[in-house]
Order: sequence, then C-alpha cells, then structure tokens
Amino acid sequence: MFKKTPVAAGIAAFASIMIAGGVAVADKIDYTAMTPQELAEYLIFEAGGFNLDQEVQEGGTAMQRMVQDDMHKACSVIGGGKPDQATLNEVRTAAAESITYPEGGIQLGDWQRGRDLAWSGFGFRIGHNPDNHDARPVGGNCYNCHQLATDRTGGTVGPSLTGYGKTRGTSDAILKYAYDMIYNPHAYFPCTNMPRFGSSGFLTQEAIADIMAYMFDPESPVNQ
Amino acid sequence: MLKKALLALPVALAVGASANADSWKAPEDVLQGLIDSIDSMYLTQSEMNIMMMPDNPALWVADDGRELFHTPRGPNNVSLEACDFGKGPGVLEGAYVELPRYFEDTGRVMDLENRLVHCMITIQGFEPDDPAVRQRHGSGSDHMQLQTYIAMQSSGMAWNPPMEHPLEVAMRDAGEVMFYRRSGIADFNCNTCHGEAGKQIRASVLPHKGTAEEWSKAISWPAFRVGHDHVRSSQHRIRGCYWQMRGPLINPNSDASIALMSYWTDAARGQPAILPDMKR
Repeated sequence: MFKKTPVAAGIAAFASIMIAGGVAVADKIDYTAMTPQELAEYLIFEAGGFNLDQEVQEGGTAMQRMVQDDMHKACSVIGGGKPDQATLNEVRTAAAESITYPEGGIQLGDWQRGRDLAWSGFGFRIGHNPDNHDARPVGGNCYNCHQLATDRTGGTVGPSLTGYGKTRGTSDAILKYAYDMIYNPHAYFPCTNMPRFGSSGFLTQEAIADIMAYMFDPESPVNQ
Repeated sequence: MLKKALLALPVALAVGASANADSWKAPEDVLQGLIDSIDSMYLTQSEMNIMMMPDNPALWVADDGRELFHTPRGPNNVSLEACDFGKGPGVLEGAYVELPRYFEDTGRVMDLENRLVHCMITIQGFEPDDPAVRQRHGSGSDHMQLQTYIAMQSSGMAWNPPMEHPLEVAMRDAGEVMFYRRSGIADFNCNTCHGEAGKQIRASVLPHKGTAEEWSKAISWPAFRVGHDHVRSSQHRIRGCYWQMRGPLINPNSDASIALMSYWTDAARGQPAILPDMKR
C-alpha cells in the first residue's frame, strides 16, 4: 500500500514563507526537497491531483485506480524500458500464480457475442463520463490494439490476431495459452502493455469464453 | 470580412518579429515544415485535416478570444492586458511556448489555463466560481477562446519551457514519473500508447513521445478536434487520456496536471508549435 513518506518528506523539508511584493503568499511544502517519485506520489494522493473519492464499478473508490500493485511498480520504468531479468522473473511467476481456470475447463463461448466484446471499448471508465455497467456489457476493447477479422480496422500496439484459430488449431495447449494471455499476459510477457483482463476482474469468465470463441471458432470472421 | 481580420493578425506579428526561426508562422506552414522534415505516419495521417488547416474553425475561436482579451471585463472592469504570462504584462508573443513556468507572484509553476484563472481572479476580480473562470471546455467558453488567442501568438516558435527555477525542474521530473507510472484496473500509463513510433489505436496513428517532431504536434493545443466539433485544450487532452486509461478525473487546477504538461512540453523542446492545430 501507498505509504505516507512523500508527505513526511515534504513536511520535513518545509520551506520558509515565500514573500512576493512584500506579502506572504503561502506556506509551501518544498517540492524541490522530494525525489521525483516522492513528488509524483504527493501530487497524485495528497495535493488534490485527482478526484480519488469517486465510486468505481468494481467497488471502492477511484483511489485504487492510482495505487500501484507489485506489477505496476516493477513495470513502471522511466524511459519505457524493461526492469532487470530477476524482476521480470518475479513478475512472470506472480502472473502465472494469479491465473485461475473455469470449473469444467476452458470453454469456447459464442463467437458472435465475442465479436461485439472484442470491438467494444465500454467499461470501467470513470471521471467525467463514467460507464454504467448496468446499461451495457463490459468489452475487451481488443481491436484497440489488435487486428482480428479484417472487416474492421484494428490497432497495431499488439500483434495481429487475424486467422488466429485457423492457423493454430484448437488443441488444449493453444486454448490454454490464449486463455492465459487474456487472463494475465505477464505470465508469458512480463511487463507487457496488455491489461490483465482476468486477474484484474475486467472481464468475466463468460466474456473471456466468448472472445476466445471469436478467436477460435471456424465460423468466426477472424478465421475466414 | 472576419477572415480578413484574422489574417491581419499573423501579418502584424510577422512584421514585428525578427526574421529568425522563432518568428510567427502560420500553423499550416509549421505542420508542412514538420511533414517535410521527417517520415511520419502520425503527421500525415489525415489529408483532410491538413487541407483544412487554413480554414481551421479554431481561428474564429481565437478571434473571439482576442476580443475577450482586450475588452474590460469582470467586477474590476479591466482587460487582461495587465496579465503577465511570463514575458511581461500583456506580452503574448512567444509566451505560450515557454509555459508551464515558475511565477514569482504565486510561487508556483503554472500552465496557461491556471495562469489565466489567476489573472481573471486577481486582475479582473472574477469569483472562482464565475462561469467565465469555471467553464473550461467548449469553443463557446471564455477559456477556450482566450487560450486559443494567447497560444496562437506562439505559432511556429520552438517549445522552450524554462528550466531555470528548481521548481520547474522538480515539476517536469515528477511529470516524467507520472508519464511512466502504471496503475489501475487496465494497467496503463501514458507510455502504453506513446512509447513507440508508428503504432495505431484502431485506425488512429499515435504520436510517439520520443519523436520530437510528432510530439510537437501532439502537444499543440488548443486544437480543433474535428470529431468533437470543438476547440480543445491541453487540460482536456489530459482528462481524456486518464479517462481512456480508466484513471480518475484529473483536477485541472492541480500541480499533477501541470507536472505532466511540464514534462510533455519539455519532450517537444526545440520543435515548432502548431497553434492552433487541428486534430481528428
């Protein structure tokens, strides 16, 4: 959990009263006495940077959207690179341990529902325009980063998944791999950009099954 | 007629400025210069927007802003000509590309929006909850009109946020941490989308933070957003990014938002600003 150290650092480094035009304008906490990390935490959590009190769809408040877990901390590398190999291994191990499987094993659902979910960017947005989860199902937003069926334009942040089931078949091994990749991709690619759709609770088991059907079903446009 | 008035402004500025690389340049010419200087899918992705730049609706918003800026307003019935955006009271030319910066009178690093709020309250006497101060978004808002007018006076000039005061450095460095700071239910940070050149979200090519020519356009706000049919600000962009990242609502008056802007402006240092820009 987030510790109070940035505040302590700020208060310890309490600046003298600033004088502008002979008038004392403010008692300032001295930002320059903090490390960039301490100052960022202070600005986010203590200095009114965000509305952290807003209720969020998963329960609780927006605060938890800014609190970092172990993966977040390990994978937040200034400059955008990867952490050292030992850290990557820790991230990978923790991810693999986070994965749980549906009762009765991995199933393919309805590819037509999966098609809608793979396209939809709805879900878990908060702030000035929060998503009402009672109104629509939460989508996986797969097309944001991946090309899937070629009847729609997908992004290129992630690899193309066009023809996914057609080229890979539907063995237990490939179904498990695809499931794991959706559930927590850090198990294979530690510090990947891709969200942990299962571990985070972003997608339900049913939604994952439907999206997997969209990827694997021979009838799905992904495999045409 | 309106257009003629608009065109007179850049000409007047260009004549007044010295003929160096940092003199005023029409936004469409700045963009063309960047396109000519580098192979970039991001810069060239919308042929229609490039074509429409000379008729950018933001130019009319800037014109409304000029009227607002120079008209005595507020309880104190004075114009904003006494407002110091960092280069002296009323000096707008080149002021925006040197923001955010440290202001001695507030003891704070401020972006354009917060500086404008400060002047509307302290000089014009507006209450903080007056719609003129409070309403930040939409082409019809005083803020967007004023910001577009002020920013436009820096078109073609190189981004050059000062890093002389220790607070300016501290804010930029904290902004850098925020840029790379992953969190939330979707694990995103700013770098998820802006860490590699030539990547797309769906059909949109993303600007790469590490390619200064692209980043210069990316941070060139105010810009007319065609899909919104409104001129939008830097603060609006940051709010939208956190919304997409499933993050909380950022407070536009906060140092958190200014820190991010200090970092992103520093990342475009030396490249010419496109003001106002036009975006998808």
